[in-house]
Amino acid sequence: MTRTTATRCLKGSLLGAAVIAGGLLAGCQGNRSDEPPVHLLHNMDFQARFDAQEKNDFFYDVDCPEEAAADDAAAEEAAEHGEHAPHRTKTCYGRAMREPVAGTVARGHLKDDDHLYRGRGADDRLADTLPVQIELNAALLARGEERYNIYCQPCHDYSGNGEGVATQRGGGFKVQPPSYHIDRLRAMPLGYFFKVITDGQGTMLSYASQIPVEDRWAIAVWVRTLQVSRTKGGK
Amino acid sequence: MPAIFPRWTNNIPLAIAILAPIFGAGLVGGVWYYFSPKFTDAGYRPIQPVAFSHKLHAGDMGMDCRYCHNTVERAAHAAIPPTQTCMNCHSQVKTDSPKLAPIRESYESGKSVPWIRVHQLPDYAFFDHRPHLAAGVGCVSCHGRIDQMTVVQMDQPLSMSWCLDCHRNPEPNLRPLDQITNMGWDPATEDYDPKADPARKRALTPPEHCSGCHR
Ligand code: HEC
Ligand code: HEC
Ligand code: HEC
Ligand code: HEC
Ligand code: HEC
Ligand code: HEC
Repeated sequence: MTRTTATRCLKGSLLGAAVIAGGLLAGCQGNRSDEPPVHLLHNMDFQARFDAQEKNDFFYDVDCPEEAAADDAAAEEAAEHGEHAPHRTKTCYGRAMREPVAGTVARGHLKDDDHLYRGRGADDRLADTLPVQIELNAALLARGEERYNIYCQPCHDYSGNGEGVATQRGGGFKVQPPSYHIDRLRAMPLGYFFKVITDGQGTMLSYASQIPVEDRWAIAVWVRTLQVSRTKGGK
Repeated sequence: MPAIFPRWTNNIPLAIAILAPIFGAGLVGGVWYYFSPKFTDAGYRPIQPVAFSHKLHAGDMGMDCRYCHNTVERAAHAAIPPTQTCMNCHSQVKTDSPKLAPIRESYESGKSVPWIRVHQLPDYAFFDHRPHLAAGVGCVSCHGRIDQMTVVQMDQPLSMSWCLDCHRNPEPNLRPLDQITNMGWDPATEDYDPKADPARKRALTPPEHCSGCHR
């Protein structure tokens, strides 16, 4: 091998090494980045349909009445001049998931069972029993405990003293949740706890959208269980 | 007459012989490494419109994932919580925090908070959370230690081979059915045998055929 060949090879491999190093500098697998994932072939990644909770610029909803009105005015003006409507200003979007027309009742969801859906008996007073559809058994208690620990425990804590971790931090709650073990709440019928979960109470907001009806009853039973556990068998 | 090829061209074959394999290997290696969803997808971490921290809420305060992602066991889609879910607490605590201003505004106006989507499968792939959670696959297997992230990032590549790696042998990823949201539950330290768990009524059959996920 002559000297020039050797230097050339050396230069060549240096160049190769530089290319590889440059590539490596582009990042490692799993590197954090706020750039959206690059897909070289988009194929049918995005099809003409909407996923749950996606936005849709066809609708405005309640989202931005002013902008919608401005766009409508622009469209009207364009129509007067015999032009196409301008594109909508894309600063605000509606939702692809549409809400049904007010008053719509889905099949089988008339919710006319007052006991099950409102916690009220035939005399329209809060009931102290479970609705007939729900059976009191170990599975219901286990479910109630699990759901209570998911949805109520952050504020009311595991045993219902009203000292949950979320109420103790960041300056604390303005209104502390009460303990379940005060006389006023001990005397409440079972339906009351169902009603508080469903409609909220005072500063506590409604949990109806987060918790299905059956689970709300299971939680109410668990709250009663917590109360009874402090009164040596109680009721 | 001068030679058509100067002398140095004699070195070209040698240079090609040496460089071509290096280049070829580099190319193959580069494509293998950089075109993989492990590079293109994993680690995606968009900056969200509200500095919501899973580390604070799910980690330090120990909130269950289902408090906010409450549809995850009931629907294919794990809903991003509506503003009211935040207001359950934030109408009471940190009510003046500037970080929460977009949340309060959204609550008043009814506008959606424009959260940026992190995980997104291509539209031709079908995924449903329900069967996975019912089978006892924990959130952590697919989303990583969300409870330690201040900003959510994609932990796994969500590629087809990743799905199939688990579908071919799901056992090591299974956990007791009541531990699915427990991010700290580690199959390596726990002694759990899914076959001996009485809560499991049937053998699992994750699909490996194409129409299972491309329907
Ligand atoms: C975000 C925190 C929070 C969560 C979560 C929460 N609560 Fe409350 N709860 C409160 C606060 C605050 C009050 C006090 C409201 C008031 O008096 O203005 C309260 C009050 C109550 C009361 C007493 C009502 C009364 O008559 O004084 C009951 C019963 C109750 N909650 C049950 C529940 C149940 C069951 C759950 C789970 C589904 C739950 N709460 C989840 C914060 C919470
Ligand atoms: C206090 C409510 C809350 C709790 C509790 C919570 N999350 Fe979230 N989560 C959110 C919000 C809000 C977003 C959207 C903003 C973001 O990505 O940071 C989100 C986003 C996510 C995403 C990304 C979604 C996407 O766009 O692809 C995943 C995955 C996730 N959460 C998993 C979890 C897991 C696992 C847990 C339990 C350890 C959990 N979350 C607990 C509120 C919550
Ligand atoms: C169970 C109650 C609870 C829920 C639900 C909740 N948070 Fe919080 N959040 C808190 C508490 C308590 C703090 C203060 C913690 C601390 O400072 O130690 C906090 C702090 C924050 C902060 C930091 C504020 C600051 O100024 O430091 C942000 C941002 C935040 N939360 C966003 C959200 C969003 C967005 C949601 C809805 C997806 C949400 N939170 C739901 C209880 C909650
Ligand atoms: C088997 C893997 C797997 C498990 C287990 C899993 N996820 Fe997911 N998750 C995914 C995939 C894949 C996506 C993307 C779905 C899409 O784009 O359609 C996703 C998306 C999400 C999203 C964004 C909204 C959506 O549905 O697209 C949230 C929030 C989320 N997951 C939360 C959770 C929580 C909370 C748990 C545990 C209770 C969980 N996930 C368990 C794989 C999983
Ligand atoms: C960590 C393990 C794991 C990962 C990762 C995983 N799966 Fe699964 N998947 C399972 C198990 C276990 C089942 C079986 C459930 C059963 O038999 O009841 C399943 C079942 C399914 C089913 C069948 C659902 C039905 O209705 O029959 C589909 C579809 C599916 N997975 C899609 C996916 C896709 C798409 C991905 C990748 C984005 C994925 N899975 C990633 C464990 C996993
Ligand atoms: C466990 C679920 C699952 C099964 C089973 C499955 N796929 Fe996929 N497939 C996926 C997912 C998820 C993606 C999207 C991967 C990504 O985003 O990189 C995908 C992507 C693809 C792509 C597009 C690749 C690209 O980047 O353009 C093709 C083609 C494909 N699959 C073919 C098949 C065929 C053929 C079979 C049957 C042998 C099959 N798949 C079985 C989940 C599955």
